[in-house]
Amino acid sequence: MTPRERLDLLDPTEVARLGGVEIVAEGVVEGFLSGLHRSPFRGFSVEFTEHRAYQPGDEPRYLDWRILARSDRLFVKQFEEETNLRAMILLDASRSMSWRGAPERLTKREYAQRLAAALGLILLRQRDATGLITFDDAVRDVVPPRVKSGQWRRLLHGIVAVPEGRGTAAEPALRQVTSLLVRRGLVVFISDLLLDRSLALVALRFLRHRGHQVVVLHIMDPAERTLTGPPEVRFRDPESDESLVVRPRELARAYRDAVQHEIAAWRSACRRHGISYHDVTTDEPFGRVLRRLT
Amino acid sequence: MIFLHPLALLGIAAAAIPALLHLFQRRVPPEVEFPPLRYLSEAERRSARRLRLRHLLLLLLRTALIVVVVLAAARPLVPSHRSGAAHPPTALALVLDNSLSSGAVMGGQVTLDRLKTAARAVLRQASPDDRLWLVLADGVVRADGREELLSALESATAEARRLDLVAAVRAAAQVVGADPAVVREVLVISDLQGTALESDRVSLPAGVRVLALAPRPSPPNRGIDAARIASGAAVVTVGGTPGSGEVPVTLRLRGRDVGRGLATAGTTVTLPVGDPGPGWWVGEVAVEPDELRADDRRLVVWHAVPPARVAVGSGAGPFVSAGLEVLRAGGRVADGAGVTIADRPATGASVVLPPADPALLGQVNRALAARGVGWRFGPAGTPGLISGAGIEGVPVTRRQRLDGTDSGAVLARVNGEPWVVAAGGIVLLGSRLDTAWTALPTTPAFVPFLDGLVNRFARGETVVEEREGPVRVAFRTVGADTVGAIVYGPDPRESDLTPAEPSRIRSALGAELVADDGFAEAAFAGLRRADMSGLLLLVALLLALAELAAATLAR
Repeated sequence: MTPRERLDLLDPTEVARLGGVEIVAEGVVEGFLSGLHRSPFRGFSVEFTEHRAYQPGDEPRYLDWRILARSDRLFVKQFEEETNLRAMILLDASRSMSWRGAPERLTKREYAQRLAAALGLILLRQRDATGLITFDDAVRDVVPPRVKSGQWRRLLHGIVAVPEGRGTAAEPALRQVTSLLVRRGLVVFISDLLLDRSLALVALRFLRHRGHQVVVLHIMDPAERTLTGPPEVRFRDPESDESLVVRPRELARAYRDAVQHEIAAWRSACRRHGISYHDVTTDEPFGRVLRRLT
Repeated sequence: MIFLHPLALLGIAAAAIPALLHLFQRRVPPEVEFPPLRYLSEAERRSARRLRLRHLLLLLLRTALIVVVVLAAARPLVPSHRSGAAHPPTALALVLDNSLSSGAVMGGQVTLDRLKTAARAVLRQASPDDRLWLVLADGVVRADGREELLSALESATAEARRLDLVAAVRAAAQVVGADPAVVREVLVISDLQGTALESDRVSLPAGVRVLALAPRPSPPNRGIDAARIASGAAVVTVGGTPGSGEVPVTLRLRGRDVGRGLATAGTTVTLPVGDPGPGWWVGEVAVEPDELRADDRRLVVWHAVPPARVAVGSGAGPFVSAGLEVLRAGGRVADGAGVTIADRPATGASVVLPPADPALLGQVNRALAARGVGWRFGPAGTPGLISGAGIEGVPVTRRQRLDGTDSGAVLARVNGEPWVVAAGGIVLLGSRLDTAWTALPTTPAFVPFLDGLVNRFARGETVVEEREGPVRVAFRTVGADTVGAIVYGPDPRESDLTPAEPSRIRSALGAELVADDGFAEAAFAGLRRADMSGLLLLVALLLALAELAAATLAR
């Protein structure tokens, strides 16, 4: 497969033009998995099944050194995936997620939908029970984690069907995860994190305390990282309707610092509690994000 | 501080523009959705103090920039002692003394060259906005441009004339004082000899400043003040610096020395002329060359004629006969019929006395009329004193009035009325030369008066005038006859090079004295000012750069 065919590495906007969330997710996952020679979520629910001859590109760490020592031949160990992993994807559907800094880019929500769909498909292909919670200032839709056929369709429906929300409050959704994941599982929290950080961290910490692996994907539009605009402009928060008149050129540096500070604060807090944190911009190829998760 | 363009200061009002724009120009900014407003609020909260300071700084910089640019446009001038500094439009009159004394050599340099150097330095500082005048020794006030006056300055030479500095400065001060310029100055560039300040003092118009080049010590000088021929000898008066030593005086005639003597300044020496024979003679009197060459020689002119031949007619009286006898003994007259003294006109030159009998006046008047004389004896006049013809204050007790119209013929007057007139070879006297008519015959002036009557007035003796000018002689002729001469020479007051006392200079001219090395700088200096517009524009540039830096670099 040539890089041109690797949808996971293409610009998200171009990929999105190929079709709906489903098509994009499948294309991305195909490309992603074709370039991946190992289980994307290793360490969870995988058991050794057999040996096979080594092929260029295989991970050297899966070489069976004993066979190599005895027969001077290269074999790699193959693992069989288990289905006992339960994963929940929490997707932020608040109003702020429907924003984009430039018309040629995907909105944060569009990007998050495709990323969540691809992630769900990967998990399901690993036979992990995967569920979905969409939320804004309340839980909007819940797809319990299942591995049976049709789950992919249900996930897609849950991802796409929820209308544009209002504010953002993650705690209810995070609390609901605890009831859906009774065993150790994987929680992927996809949001622009324009919410109360301390409250969200309490909930995430609780999940972590319950033994779940927690991954936070901080979705940002590139235009949110640097402040630009006309000489003077009134910026309005679509969720709270609060507004502020500023001169972007005057505040650009301070804004950039504030954003960096926020990211650093999230990263620091997450690291402190064993939470995996990734800041993602909507112009980043999906495959690259998925690879960061593996 | 003054401003060349004060109206430009109205632009200062523009300094309020930044503040007014800040206060009143409330634009409605475009509204844009922006979800991460919380980051923006945080950034603004952190930057609020910095932004307020920056906005204040920008406001101040922009206001200051406008003020500085407006001030620069108004061309502010501040007091300065810098030589290159500009000055406000000035009315300046330069009095350059190129009189005879400026030709003196002092310390190896001609005084006029020194004065021209100072004047040149002043004129070169003049700007096109200045009004300039130049007054030379001729007293003419020239108004012209800088280059033209510089040209006039370069062509000026030491002239054989005297400059009355007080009169020159007065004239200069009047033209300068009448000019509307704020700065008005009269610069006196002269050797400031004391004799140039003999007249009273200048009354300066308000606001006129007079600067004078400080005089330098002068060397002793001697010159020929006057020379005339009297009784066969040249009477030479030597002038110059009082107290200077003796100097040889030489009389040259026809290119050779005919007399020599010694004299000091202020004394007279008599040099014999001899008898060169009848005719016009021009001699040269000279002293040894010194620092001022122009007054070292002077010409002397005289007309050598034989003594008048005099005949005494009827009614002349005993005093006339006695006086003529004295003159005859002295060789001043001889017997003959060249001039007749009588109580009626003769055929030739005549001195006519009024007849003792008034009844004969009509006959005499008719005879005068027949001779074509425009004067006649009139009725008796009032007694009085004689004035003229070398006589002053001698009483006249009896006289006949002399009636005529040619006032140029009057040689002496009594009570303001003609007493001696000369016309057409006839000399009329209003009184007989007798003690019954006048006391003149009993005075020492009588014989010289009689000499003048017969040798000069009756024979129409030529007159030699003396005038100021380059040393030369001009003869007056009528037809083929030489009837007079004008001897030109320098004013003797120019020979005394002694500079006036500073106190006299100040009181006479109202001038400040400035030495040579500081004179050019002192000119225009009363209000010499440096143009600050260049500096202000530099400040404006720096302010603009600071504003640019504050507006961009601080982002």
